[in-house]
Amino acid sequence: MSSQNRMQESEFLTTRETLQVIRRALRYVEPFKARFSVKVGLMFASLIPMLMLPWPVKIIIDNVIEGRAIDDPIRPYPPLIAPLLNGLAGYSPYELLFIVITFQTTLFLLIGAFGASGSERETAEGNLASGYDTASRTENEANEGFSLTGGLLGLFDFRWTMRLTQSLNHHYRTRLFDRIQTLPMTAFDDERIGDAVYRVMYDTPAITNTCYRILLTPLTSPLHILLTVWILTSSYGGQPILIYSALAFLPLAFAGTLPLASAMRRSSGRSRQAGATATATAEEGMSNILAVQSLGGENRQRERYADDSWSAFSRYRAVFRLGIYAVVIAAIPGAFIVGYAFLHTIDLVIAEELSRGDFGLLVTYFFHILISAQALGGMWFGLQGSAAGLHRVFFLMDMPGEDDDPTHAELGPIQKGLEIDKVDYAYPDGTQALRGIQFQAQLGQMIAFVGPAGAGKTTLAYMIPRFVTPDRGQVRIDGRNLAELRLSSLRSQIAFVFQETVLFDATVEENIRIGRPGASDEEIREAATLAGAVEFIDALPQGYQTPLGRAGGKLSVGQKQRLSLARALVRDARILILDEPTSALDAETETRFVATLKQLSRNRIVVVIAHRLSTVRSADEILFIDEGEIKERGAHAALLKRRDGAYRRFVEMQSGLTR
Amino acid sequence: MASDSQVTDSQDLSRLGGGSRDDRLRMRLVFSILSRCLSLLRPVSKHVIGLFAGFASLTLLLAPLVLIFIDTLWTRILQGKPMLEIEARFFGLPVELATTAAGFDPAMRSLLAERLIGWGAIGAAVCIPIFIALYYYQVWILQQVNQKLRVELLSHLQSLSLRFHADNTVGDAVYRLNQDSAMVTQLIQVLVLVPFTAIPQFLFSVLVMCLFAPTLGLILFGVLLPSLILGAWFSTRMRTRFRGARETNAALTGRIQETLAGIKIIKAYGAERVEQGAFDGASHSAFGAAFQARNLYAVYTMAMFWVFGTFILFLTALGTVEAMKQTELAATALGFTVWNLGLYNYFKGRLGSSTEALKDLFRTWGRLQDIAIGLDRVFEVMDRRPEVEDDPDAIPLESIHQEIRFADVSFQYQSDRPVLHNVNLTATIGTITAIVGPTGSGKSTLMALLLRLFNPTSGTIEIDGVDLGRFQTASLRERISIALQENVLFGDTVRENIRFAVPQATDPQVREAARVAGASDFIDELPDGYETLLGERGSKLSTGQRQRLSIARAVLKDTPILILDEPTAALDALTEQKVLRNLSQWGRGRAIFLITHRLSTIRQADRIAFLQGGKIIEVDSHDELMRRPDGAYRALVEAEQIASLAAGR
Repeated sequence: MSSQNRMQESEFLTTRETLQVIRRALRYVEPFKARFSVKVGLMFASLIPMLMLPWPVKIIIDNVIEGRAIDDPIRPYPPLIAPLLNGLAGYSPYELLFIVITFQTTLFLLIGAFGASGSERETAEGNLASGYDTASRTENEANEGFSLTGGLLGLFDFRWTMRLTQSLNHHYRTRLFDRIQTLPMTAFDDERIGDAVYRVMYDTPAITNTCYRILLTPLTSPLHILLTVWILTSSYGGQPILIYSALAFLPLAFAGTLPLASAMRRSSGRSRQAGATATATAEEGMSNILAVQSLGGENRQRERYADDSWSAFSRYRAVFRLGIYAVVIAAIPGAFIVGYAFLHTIDLVIAEELSRGDFGLLVTYFFHILISAQALGGMWFGLQGSAAGLHRVFFLMDMPGEDDDPTHAELGPIQKGLEIDKVDYAYPDGTQALRGIQFQAQLGQMIAFVGPAGAGKTTLAYMIPRFVTPDRGQVRIDGRNLAELRLSSLRSQIAFVFQETVLFDATVEENIRIGRPGASDEEIREAATLAGAVEFIDALPQGYQTPLGRAGGKLSVGQKQRLSLARALVRDARILILDEPTSALDAETETRFVATLKQLSRNRIVVVIAHRLSTVRSADEILFIDEGEIKERGAHAALLKRRDGAYRRFVEMQSGLTR
Repeated sequence: MASDSQVTDSQDLSRLGGGSRDDRLRMRLVFSILSRCLSLLRPVSKHVIGLFAGFASLTLLLAPLVLIFIDTLWTRILQGKPMLEIEARFFGLPVELATTAAGFDPAMRSLLAERLIGWGAIGAAVCIPIFIALYYYQVWILQQVNQKLRVELLSHLQSLSLRFHADNTVGDAVYRLNQDSAMVTQLIQVLVLVPFTAIPQFLFSVLVMCLFAPTLGLILFGVLLPSLILGAWFSTRMRTRFRGARETNAALTGRIQETLAGIKIIKAYGAERVEQGAFDGASHSAFGAAFQARNLYAVYTMAMFWVFGTFILFLTALGTVEAMKQTELAATALGFTVWNLGLYNYFKGRLGSSTEALKDLFRTWGRLQDIAIGLDRVFEVMDRRPEVEDDPDAIPLESIHQEIRFADVSFQYQSDRPVLHNVNLTATIGTITAIVGPTGSGKSTLMALLLRLFNPTSGTIEIDGVDLGRFQTASLRERISIALQENVLFGDTVRENIRFAVPQATDPQVREAARVAGASDFIDELPDGYETLLGERGSKLSTGQRQRLSIARAVLKDTPILILDEPTAALDALTEQKVLRNLSQWGRGRAIFLITHRLSTIRQADRIAFLQGGKIIEVDSHDELMRRPDGAYRALVEAEQIASLAAGR
C-alpha cells in the first residue's frame, strides 16, 4: 500500500466512545444557546400554520364542491380549527371558495404553502449540488440552512439557521486550527499536510448534523406528534389504530438500524480517511511540483492519486450502501403497517364514518406522525457518520500540545546567558538523540555546533527555543528553567533560521517582516543588506513589494536562504540560532555574512550549526558533536592543536581536499 | 506556442483580468460547459444509455399504474362508482356484481381495497429495489466520470509549468480536485434525468388539460413566460455569487495548507496569533460568500414558486367553480363528460404534477449555475496549455551517445528579467561538468532548461545534435536524473522514496543505489530499515541523510545524464568524500553536471563552467582555469583557500 496515513486513530469507535464524542461536540453549542433557542421557537411557530394546511383542500371538496354545510361536519373539527370554521357557517359555496382562496394566498405568501401536498408547498433551503464522495458533501453540511416552511417566515428561518450553522462551524474549525498551532513544532514533520487540511475543511462540518439532530429532533418530533394526535383525537375520535401504527415506526426505525450503527461509523471513518489520503497525495504532489517534474514522477503521482481517489469513491459507496440497507430493513415491515393503515382508513370511508375529504386528511396526518416517529427512531443511526468525523477532529485536538502554562512567569530581557545542563533526549521512536549535553553561552559569544550528519546538532538547537523539551536535565536562560517560563516570552527573544527555507505566498517585505511585525522599512532594508539580499531584491520588478508566489517558487535556493536570514536579523533578538545558514551561499556572500555574524554576536548569543569551516572557525567556542554527545569543545585554534582530535580530523578533511 | 485565444499557463488564475472574468460568468458559458461535459460522459455512454433505459422504462411502466391506482382508489373504492368490466376482471372480482351499482356494495369495495393495496405492495416491492439499484448504478457511473476528470485535472496540473505553480496555491488545486470536479457527478441528473422527466411531465399536463379545459391548459402553459424571465434575471446574479463562494473557500483551503507547511516559521517567530487572525478572516469571508450565494438561491426558488404557485391557485379556483357548476364538457375527454369530483381531482393531480415539474426544473436550473461555475473552474485549469508541449511528431529520446550542447541559450522568467544570456556549453558523455558561480547566477535554471521544465527564450539545446524540442518530453526526462538542492521527501517508505522515479526497481537495485549515495549505513540503522515511513518533512532524518536519499533516487534512475544540484551542501567532509568517490566511479560513461560551491566537489569535475549574471564567463578544466591570472574561477579558489588555510593554521 502506498497510501499510509500516519495520524492513525483507532478505526473502531465503541458505542460508549461515540456517546462521549457527541457529548463533547455539544459543548461547542454553548456560545450559541440563545440563537439555538430562537431556532427552536421558529420551528414551533412553523408547526401551527403547517397543521392548518390540509383544511382548505378539505373545505373545497366537502363544502364547496359537494356543497355540504360547514357547520355540519361528519366529524367534529379539532379545537384549533373549530372556531375558524364555525365562523364560516352560513356562507354560500362561492363565498366559501373566495374565503378559502384568500386564506390560501395569505399562507402562500407567509409560509410558502397553500396545501399539504408536496406540490402545494415549497420550503426554504439552500442546498447546492454535491458529488458522490464524502468531501464534496460536507459543503452543504457546513452551510446547512433549513426550515419546515417557506414563504417569508421560511426565508427568515432559513437565513437564521444558515447563519447559526456557519457560526457554529466557524467556531469549531477555528478552535481546531488554533489547537493545531499549539501542537509541538515537530508534530507535522511526519504527517501529511493534506490529511490535516481534510480534517479542518471536511471533518469539522460533522458538528452540524450532530447538534441539530440531537438538539432539535427530540424537541420538534414529539411536539409534532402530540399536536397531530391531539387534532386526530378531537375530531376523529383518536383513530388509535392509525396513531399506533404510525408510532410503530419509532421502534422499527431504531431496531432496524441499530445493528448497522457500528458498521456505519466504521464505514464513514474509512471513507473520510480515504478522502484525506487522496487529498494528501494531491497536496504533496502540488507542493513538490519541481521534484515531480524534474524526477519524472508524473506517472507515479498520477497512478497513486488515481488509486487513492478511487478508493475514496469506493469507500463512499460503502457508506451509501449502508444507508440503503437501513432504509430497506425499516421499509419491509413498514410497508405492511402502511398498507394496513390505508385499508383501515378506506374501510372507514366505505362505512361512511369518514368523508372522502377526511380520507386525504387522515392519510396526511398519518404520515406526519410516521415521519416524526421515524426521525426519532433513526436518530442514533443518523449520528454515526458524523461521529466518525467528530472523532477525527477530536483526535487532532487531543494530540498533546506544547506545555505552555499561562501561570508561568515571563522571561524578561535576557541579561546573562544560556545554560544547557546535563541534557538527555530520545526521539519518540526511542533512539537516543542527545546524552549528557552540558555547556554555557554568555551574551557576546558565538557558539558553533559541528559534527557529522545525524549527530543531533539540530535537535540540540531546538532545545533553546523549547521546540523540544529534554527528557532529563534542564535548559536555563539567566538561570531560569525554560520549562517554567511562558513560551511567547522566550521565543520572542530568539530568532531561528531553519535548514529548509520556508517562504509564504506574500511579498518580499511581508516575508521578512514575519521576524518582527513592527519593523520599519529602514530596519527591513538594513536586515536585507546584512543578509546580502539587498542586491537581488532591488533587481526584482517590484522590489520589496514583489509577491513571491507559492513557496518562493520564483527565487533560487540561495536567494531564499538570504531572505530567511534577513527575516531572522530583523527580529533583533538576543539569541540568534542558525542551522546551516550558508550551505547554498557562494564563498563571497558567506564571508561577508560571517563577518556580520561576528559583529552581531557582540551583544547576543549566536549559535551556528555548519559544516563549512569558514563559517565555523570564527566562533568563540566550537562544540564537536557526534552520536549525541559533545566529544570536544574549545576555540578553533585550541582544538586544532589536539593531535588525533575529532575536530582536527574534520578540518583536515576539508582543507586537505582543497589543496 | 500559445495563440491569442489560449491562455498560457504562466498566468495567475486568481488574477485574471476583469474582462475574461465576466466572460466566465455569461449564460452562454453554462451551455458551452455542458456541451463540453457531454464528452466526459462518452466513455461511460453505454452505462448512461443503460441507466436511462432503466429509468425510462420504470417511469413508463409506473406512470399508468399509478394513475390506475389513484383512479381505482378514488372513483371506485371511495366514491363507490361501479367498475368497468376489465377492471373487475383484473382485480378478480365477480364482473356481474362489481359493474353494477347494486352489486358494488361496501363489502365488495372493501375487498377491492384489499386487493388494490395488495397489488400496490407487490408493485412497490418490485419497483423500489429496482429504483434503488438504478440509483446505485448511477452513483457508480458518475463516480467513474468524476474519477476520470480528477485524474485528468491532476495530470494536467502536473504538466503545467513551475511558473503556474508559483502563482497558484496548493489549496486552490486541492479545492478544484475535491470540490469543483465533483460537480461533474450531477451531469446526468441535470442534463438528462430532470429535463427529460420534468419537461414532458409539464407538457403532458398542459396537453391533457387542454383536452377538457383548453383555456385552463393555456393559462398553465403561460406560467412559463414570467418564470423564464425571472429565472434569467436571477441566474447571472447567482453565478457571480457561486463563483465568489468557490473562490473564497479555495482561498481558505490554501490558507490552511500554507500555515501547516510553514508551521516551523510560525512557531519560531511567534506568528500564531497573526495566522489565527488570517484564518479567522478567511473562514469568515468563505462563510460570508457561501451565505450570499445560498441565500440568493433560496430566495430564487421561493420567488419562482410564488410565480407558478399564483397560477396554480388561480387555476384551482377556476377548476373549483367548474366542479361546482358541474359544467358539461364540450366533448368526452378521458372518460369524463362532466366536471365532477373525479375530474376535479384529476385536474388537481395534473396541476400538482406540473408544479412538481416546474419546481424541479427551476431548482435544477439554479443549482446548474453553481455546477457550471464549479466545472468552469476545472476547465479553466485544463485550458491552460502547458508551456512545454510535445510536438505532434516528437520522437522518443532513446539513448545519448555523444554530447549535450547549449547553443546561445537565453532565458527569462519575466520579460524584463533575463536570467541566462547567450550561454554556450558542451558536455560530452563520460565527463563531469561543474557549474560554478555566485548565488542567483542562473545555475539551477540552466539545468531546468535541460530538463525542459521551461523552453529557452532563444537559442537551442541539442542532444547529439538534435534539438531538445524534437523529443518527447517524458522520454527526455526519463534519460536525465537529478538530485535536487531542496531535498524533497514524499510521505512514504524509504524504499518508495528511493524508487520514486523507477517504481519497478527491485530491492537489490534500491540497495545498490543507496550504497552509491552513501545512504545504506544509516538506512540499515533506522527502526524499520527500508520500510521506515517518512513524512513530507521527514523529521526522522537529518538534512544530510535526506540529501543522500535524494542522490540515491537519482542514481537508481540509471540514466546517461545526471544532475547534482548542490549535492553535498549538507554533508560533512568525510561523508562527502565517500559519496563523491562512489559517484565518480558509478558515473563513468555518463554526463554528469555538478552545481556546487564547494571546492572539494568542484575538483572532481573535468570541466568547470563559471556562470555569472547569467553568462558563462569562463569554461575549462581546473588546471587551465587556474593558469588564468585574472580568472574569476582562480579568484574564487584563492579566496576559499585563503579562508580554509587560515582556518587550518
